[in-house]
Amino acid sequence: MDRNQIKKWLKSPGKMAHKYSLWAIYFCTGCGIIEIPPVITSRWDAERFGVLPAPSPRQANLFLITGYVSVKTLKAIIKTYEQMPEPKYTVGFGSCPINGGMYWDSYNTIKHLDKYIPVDGWIAGCMPRPEAIFIAVTHLWTLIDKGMAKGYVKYREQYGRYRENQEMALGRLEWPPLFPLKDEND
Amino acid sequence: MINRLKQELESTFREISVAVPGENGITVVASPVQILTILRFLKDRGYDHLAMISCVDWIKEDSLELVYLVSAYLTGDNEYTGREKITVTLKTRIPRKEPEFPTAIPVFENAEPYEREIHELFGIHFTGHPRLIPLFLEREYEIPPFRKDFDTREYVKEVFDKIPFVENKE
Amino acid sequence: MRELELYFGPQHMGMVGNFSITLKVEGDRVVEAVSNPGYLHRGFEKLMEYRTWIQNFPIVCRMNVVEPDSMEMIYAMGVEKLAKLEVPERAHYIRSIYLELARVGSHLFGLWAYSNMLGFDTVAQWAMYHRDLILDLFEELTGGRVYHIYIWPGGVRRDFPKGFKDKIVTTLHSIGGCVPDYNNTFFENRMFYKRTEGIGKISQKEAMELGAVGQVLRATGMKHDIRKTEPYAAYDKVPWDVPTRENGDACSRVLVIRDEMIESVHMIFKLLDNMPEGPVYNRVPNPLKWTIPKGDAWVRIESSRGELGLYLVSDGGDKPYRAHFRTPSYPHGLIILEKLLENASIADVGNIMISLYVVAPEIDR
Repeated sequence: MDRNQIKKWLKSPGKMAHKYSLWAIYFCTGCGIIEIPPVITSRWDAERFGVLPAPSPRQANLFLITGYVSVKTLKAIIKTYEQMPEPKYTVGFGSCPINGGMYWDSYNTIKHLDKYIPVDGWIAGCMPRPEAIFIAVTHLWTLIDKGMAKGYVKYREQYGRYRENQEMALGRLEWPPLFPLKDEND
Repeated sequence: MINRLKQELESTFREISVAVPGENGITVVASPVQILTILRFLKDRGYDHLAMISCVDWIKEDSLELVYLVSAYLTGDNEYTGREKITVTLKTRIPRKEPEFPTAIPVFENAEPYEREIHELFGIHFTGHPRLIPLFLEREYEIPPFRKDFDTREYVKEVFDKIPFVENKE
Repeated sequence: MRELELYFGPQHMGMVGNFSITLKVEGDRVVEAVSNPGYLHRGFEKLMEYRTWIQNFPIVCRMNVVEPDSMEMIYAMGVEKLAKLEVPERAHYIRSIYLELARVGSHLFGLWAYSNMLGFDTVAQWAMYHRDLILDLFEELTGGRVYHIYIWPGGVRRDFPKGFKDKIVTTLHSIGGCVPDYNNTFFENRMFYKRTEGIGKISQKEAMELGAVGQVLRATGMKHDIRKTEPYAAYDKVPWDVPTRENGDACSRVLVIRDEMIESVHMIFKLLDNMPEGPVYNRVPNPLKWTIPKGDAWVRIESSRGELGLYLVSDGGDKPYRAHFRTPSYPHGLIILEKLLENASIADVGNIMISLYVVAPEIDR
């Protein structure tokens, strides 16, 4: 057994328990839906990493965005992301959220998901293997240990800029801002 | 079987051209006013499966071409009559400026989503359609997106690449 | 009673794929349902006009994520019909075996979705495991688990590696040996019949009017299968039968799927026995700058969900002028779903939707 673990558990048991039970929200956003059922069923078991599918955004703290994001899906993603309680982490799965991927010249997909919601990590590939998801989860654990997975803090602090980008892409948004916007330049 | 259908079509309708390019298909080119009558004629002869309605933009000839693909189901007692292999391709041309066309729903009930899609992607207005609202798209486009004068790479540069990253803003 | 508008939206535990339905409910009963596709629209057919004929192969298989092989097959058939390319005999047999393996894998995925939604979690885990065994076979043959790009215009990309035939036979025997377990746990279970009999019933006449194809039509008694009416590849070289059922409800559709899986496994064994030797592809003339003469073509095959068709137009250049796919989930997910959901209870919405075997990316393309 790893001796470092005992020290970490004694120092901050809350953080260790939080890290080893990240519940991923069940939202099949794009192409990558084909590799999620193998991950959550018995062959590549994700429950030994603590990752379970959660039915509602209020019960989840990991958001796996699997595949490309179209304009209509971006609205659903932002609404789901804003309903998740803090602390929450986002992982972009596949090459399409990184820079548009194979559909870089399509009129209906969002390239660079980073501009609209904060993303903590990326997994490259088309499709990545199920083992790649587990490597991503272990990297996320290291980031949480060091205190570097601060996507949600960035969202809270720079909410005005994110909302401006969202309005540029989607037009007027029907839901009110999540955090109060300042009046002067952000 | 195919030659019999060709003769029947040629004898019933004037000013259409019928060709048999391969062994399983028959191509009919007609004028826009005859399309619904030909569709009803085919349905009465047992070709009761509308596979697809498609549209091609011939920008150099300044016209849009509507294509109807009709084939046959098996008869009720699962017998092979030789009609199931045949697909009839029905083509017609309409002008590109403010295009309009009557709907095919009275003849084939499943034409509804195909016509909705062609309306939002090519801009053809189908008169008599009960529900001509957008199917896939969320935004308004000046030129319907699938026409040849809509350049999707220019559109991406103008709309999506101009949005800055959050770190680069002041 | 008042009417309420509910969104059975994209983020839902009972939804597989990114698709949403707007329901108008009165109490517990659905009065009207409107499908809301478009979450996965990429404008595929427009993107295909910017890439050459060969560059389109990696992109065309991503149209249907559950069974990408049928998309490759139909595009290759369309290109071959326009360019008048011949395919050697051994390639026909390899394509048939490959497509039947993909069909079994896709049906196992559908079985996962359906049994998970009904609540039979054990069968869902078995089905996903067996599908993974088939994906291991694909990985050995082509290099990728999900997206293969194996079918090429003029044949297939490479021949079977050494010992591959025995691996197929061993895998299929181990899956086939579990069929009694599947029958005992799921298909002959009293609870399965109570949950699915009479749900989502459609008559044969109504199915024909609304343009149904595939399992939805075969569950009403019609033996409509493109592999029999217009045979392609090597389907007319081995004897096989089209399974049908009579009732037209969700129970019949799932039983048709089980029968199709067993029929596909038998077909693969027969094809493996009769496979001839020879080359597996014919060279594409001038692959770096391949232009196809002017014309148009309509081809169709039977994918795991029904009749899949492609209308391909070329104007003599090196890129397609227009490619329009007719996918089987289009009428099922848009018109038949709205018709069947009238007067259903809210608890049955997921049941009806997944029993129609709709794959959302196929509708939006």
